[in-house]
Amino acid sequence: MSERRAILEVVGVNKSFGGLKAVQDFNLTIREGDLQGLIGPNGAGKTTCFNLLTGVYTPDTGEVRVSGHRVEGARPWRIARLGVARTFQNIRLFGALSVLDNARLGCHLRVGHSFAGMVLRSVLHRSEERAIRDRAMDLLGVLGLADRAHEEAKSLPYGDQRKLEIARALATEPRVLLLDEPAAGMNPQEKVELRGLIHRIRERFKVAILLIEHDMGVVMNLCEHITVLNFGQTIAAGSPGVVQNDPRVIEAYLGTE
Amino acid sequence: MSDLRHRAASLSPGFVPTAVLSILPVAAVLGIAMLAQLWLAPVLANAGADFFIKMGVDILVAMVLAISLTMVNGFTGQFSIGHAAFMAVGAYTAACIVYYGSYRFYGNANVQGGLVSSMVYGVRDVPWFAWADALFLGALLAGGLVAAGCGYLVGLPSLRLKGDYLAIVTLGFGEIVRVLVQSQTTEVLAEGASVTPDHLRMIPAWGSTLAVDDYITAEAIASAPVWVWPKYVGGALGFGGLPFYTSPFWVVLVAGLTLLVAFRIKSSSYGRAFLSIREDEIASEAMGVNVTAYKVRAFVVAAFFAGIAGGLFAHTVGVQLNPAELGFQKSFDIIIMVVLGGLGSISGAAIAAVIVTILPELLRTPDLLAASWPYGLGGVVLGAGLIGVLRSGGRSTTLGRAVLFAGLLVAGLGLLALWAKGSEVDLGRYRMVFFALALIAMMILRPQGLLGVGEIWDRSFWADLVARRSKGGVS
Ligand SMILES: Nc1ncnc2c1ncn2[C@@H]1O[C@H](COP(=O)(O)OP(=O)(O)OP(=O)(O)O)[C@@H](O)[C@H]1O
Ligand SMILES: [Mg+2]
Repeated sequence: MSERRAILEVVGVNKSFGGLKAVQDFNLTIREGDLQGLIGPNGAGKTTCFNLLTGVYTPDTGEVRVSGHRVEGARPWRIARLGVARTFQNIRLFGALSVLDNARLGCHLRVGHSFAGMVLRSVLHRSEERAIRDRAMDLLGVLGLADRAHEEAKSLPYGDQRKLEIARALATEPRVLLLDEPAAGMNPQEKVELRGLIHRIRERFKVAILLIEHDMGVVMNLCEHITVLNFGQTIAAGSPGVVQNDPRVIEAYLGTE
Repeated sequence: MSDLRHRAASLSPGFVPTAVLSILPVAAVLGIAMLAQLWLAPVLANAGADFFIKMGVDILVAMVLAISLTMVNGFTGQFSIGHAAFMAVGAYTAACIVYYGSYRFYGNANVQGGLVSSMVYGVRDVPWFAWADALFLGALLAGGLVAAGCGYLVGLPSLRLKGDYLAIVTLGFGEIVRVLVQSQTTEVLAEGASVTPDHLRMIPAWGSTLAVDDYITAEAIASAPVWVWPKYVGGALGFGGLPFYTSPFWVVLVAGLTLLVAFRIKSSSYGRAFLSIREDEIASEAMGVNVTAYKVRAFVVAAFFAGIAGGLFAHTVGVQLNPAELGFQKSFDIIIMVVLGGLGSISGAAIAAVIVTILPELLRTPDLLAASWPYGLGGVVLGAGLIGVLRSGGRSTTLGRAVLFAGLLVAGLGLLALWAKGSEVDLGRYRMVFFALALIAMMILRPQGLLGVGEIWDRSFWADLVARRSKGGVS
């Protein structure tokens, strides 16, 4: 059996803000079908890692490859087109747009008709607009938001807003999906549902997933591989069982006496 | 192949229905423009209501400007405060082409067009379309394109600048355009005592030294290179003597097409990309939208339409194209329209353009306003009654409140006009006060503007009006 192809490869990435070393010597490989976790205490540098992978920040040193393409310093929209989609820890929906339009926007990077074709209402424009609507409604259905398609995004309850962020990210047809604390603000019931949802998303959309999460129940049950950060450094990496029992991880989370 | 392309292939509507649906609205706009020119305008002119024709032209030009600025300030959420500059660029480009082109082709700057450009309503013995109409149309398009080029240049800094800083760049651009035009020569006029306005912008014989009596003949214009023309556009004194080609046909056509294009943009994937930038730039870029390119594109498209509006403005009856008129004040008028209408609403901007254009006229001639205060009071009563009925039915009182508010407004303005008539005060001079008050009232009562980002043709807009009240609160 040949090895699954690597989608995202991070090698020796460093990033400092002034004197603060937010991320040091970060390494990560995500292959097709992976479901990995990225954990660590508050301020450990997890979100910064996402920002480095998606082009929001440029690494000081190190390499980031998406499907073999080097992307350090590339604009976020280029990286998105290569198949990296993300959600945001502090929800960033298009609040005044409808739920449907949020999902439809995610499809925009895959359209093939030109601006002029749009103004002239070409055949390709019309067929793609139909396909966009179709796809967006399907995605909202998967996330359980179809009933609220015409509501304003900002009027959704918190948990639904997180789901809409996932729908919007999936609309970009990503090869890897980065979820930044998807369970934050959800109640226990919703968290259980979220676990099932993430499994279904992986199966249905054939997308690899990297997940930042504070809720250990969610992470340990879902992820096959976990990377643990503390003060920007990777202190452990491996299967949930290994990571859970690593003394350095226990120390990072519980502190030393 | 992406899933989207895959699905699209199976959802293709076919060529013929697409062609029909795509062309039909354009044909409809053309038809309405014809109707305005051949039926409505003669009817109004016969009834002695030329004033309304003039008003209509002004309103539609303002509408084009407001809708175009909506694409920048409303859709992408940038803040341009120099929109009149694009109008000026289009106006002067078109004016040069029409004025000097007319001299080249016809030996004078009189109207040579057909029925579509005719300002003499009801004539029948001219052709529909003459070559001079093509000259005007070409000039409008050229004005639009040159303005779009400027839009590209002004849009470039928006790659790096945001908010206030970008606003200052656009303001600076507006001033540069105005000062450039103003500083063009007027010396031809200054020297000669017996110079008629038509001499004002004539070119000195190419290669000859300028002499006071040495005004140029049509032959000389014909032999002068094109790039000499922009130097003689009247400078600070204005570019007078332009032929009046801006007929109801052209303004309805341009306004209709602008509306159509704006609507098509907004209701498309590209439109959602524009709006997403305004909502959250970082998220937009993370979803694959090339934010910088789209911001520049918004500037280019908006500038194109503003340039065409400028060309229309320049050739309107009674307008003396003047750089001072296309300065910051004009930009501000357009911003008021966009903000009142609701940043991002096409129909809102169009409605606001009507209000902002009509109001000063009404204030200037207070008779109509003064006579309307009883109707305003009627509106107040009707609105109050509506609120009562709607509330007892457990429905949203938005409609009632809108009627009440409009009634209050009309009644208030009417009584004010009545007073102004009695004490001979020219309210027209205080129009900026009224706009300022309107903006303040808007910020307090309805900060999102008349329509927010919505449109009057949205189903949700009408649904909201008649919806049941969700929360049973008092109020
Ligand atoms: N743009 C920035 N400028 C300066 N410092 C930053 C910036 N972004 C992040 N940091 C700092 O980098 C460190 C890591 O932040 P990061 O947001 O990545 O943490 P995190 O692991 O996501 O934490 P949390 O669990 O609270 O979300 C923090 O100390 C933060 O203050
Ligand atoms: Mg974080």
